[in-house]
Amino acid sequence: MATLKDLKMRINSVKSTQKITAAMKMVAAAKLRRAQEAAVSGRPYADRMRSVTASLASKANVNSAPEMLVGNGKSAIHLLVVVSADRGLCGGFNGSITRQTRSEVARLQGDGKTVKLLMVGRKCSDALRREFGKHFIDSLEGVQGTSVAFSDAVEISETIRNGFANGDFDVCTMIFNKFVNAITQEITLTQLIPAEISSVNDSDAGVNYDYEPEEDELLESLLPRILSTQLYSALLESSAAELAARMTAMDNATRNAGELIDRLTLVYNRSRQAAITNELIEIISGAEAV
Amino acid sequence: MVETTQLELVTPARIMTQKLVQMVVVPGVEGLFGVLPRHAPLLAGLERGVVEVHEDGKVTDRIMIDGGVADVSEKSVTIMAERAIDLATADLAVLKERAATAGEAEANFLNAVISTL
Repeated sequence: MATLKDLKMRINSVKSTQKITAAMKMVAAAKLRRAQEAAVSGRPYADRMRSVTASLASKANVNSAPEMLVGNGKSAIHLLVVVSADRGLCGGFNGSITRQTRSEVARLQGDGKTVKLLMVGRKCSDALRREFGKHFIDSLEGVQGTSVAFSDAVEISETIRNGFANGDFDVCTMIFNKFVNAITQEITLTQLIPAEISSVNDSDAGVNYDYEPEEDELLESLLPRILSTQLYSALLESSAAELAARMTAMDNATRNAGELIDRLTLVYNRSRQAAITNELIEIISGAEAV
Repeated sequence: MVETTQLELVTPARIMTQKLVQMVVVPGVEGLFGVLPRHAPLLAGLERGVVEVHEDGKVTDRIMIDGGVADVSEKSVTIMAERAIDLATADLAVLKERAATAGEAEANFLNAVISTL
């Protein structure tokens, strides 16, 4: 049976944990607003870039089109770009990405493909290093966080592009958490190479564009840009999703700590009462004996 | 009423400019070109250079971009640039500071901006 002093200490320790989780929740909520704004204001560029590339791609010559768009005709080696967080304490955020990656690797290997991994974010690469460490081509840290720089996305896209040009892989897919709203994140798989570009809507397709320089040349210069843009918006989405996940997780933790404090306080009061009753019984029976 | 065309300049981070203009001059890879309302649809690659907005024969805005793409239609001009700086509000000291700490590509662009100021 825990003594009163022990119980008091337990309660105090849970109380300080609750203070920490409540503070983390508020920090995440404040940062989330900024990250969400960044993700939203990044959308126009990504949308326009996509529609321009789509209209260009629909007119490109299939035979002479760049390999980044149509693929190199093989699909033996897959590169997975896995975007997770650098920090933990954000609920199932990193865990679900890790799980998805693991099942994706298993699926591809089951099909007889070779898998390579490019890890963005410390948590997921730590979790998978023992299992798939030999498949890592690189693992990056410090890319996300409160402010995502476009130049970071460009760097990653250059790594991917060089790898593709050297024939290190044939197909490239990105796995990341998409920010849906403050309580939901959605794991999304996007194929980067060959570029998966949704077809243009009909109103656009009718316009006869002039191109300067030629279509193929323009497309060649656009594809690296669209790759960077896709990576950049994924990084933005992932950062916002991470903060949202942390906010929810810390909110739950704060509430759980509150419940625990209530329960412990009840136990504490009961033991105190029992001790008082015991003392009274001793006094009364002592008085009766005299 | 003077005819206008909708100019939009977007960067990955935000929409820089969004307004109706009479003419805009854009640095294409095959040379500078001006865009007036009812321009033929054009998709052009852009070089590093200055986008100039003209109103009543005068230049009202100058924005330096680091290459990109312009999507011109009859009613609009959309310029997508990875980096863009408005020369009217740019501050030399701030730019120099940023150029010193930025990465190679960014610093390169910032130095070009500084030299045009």
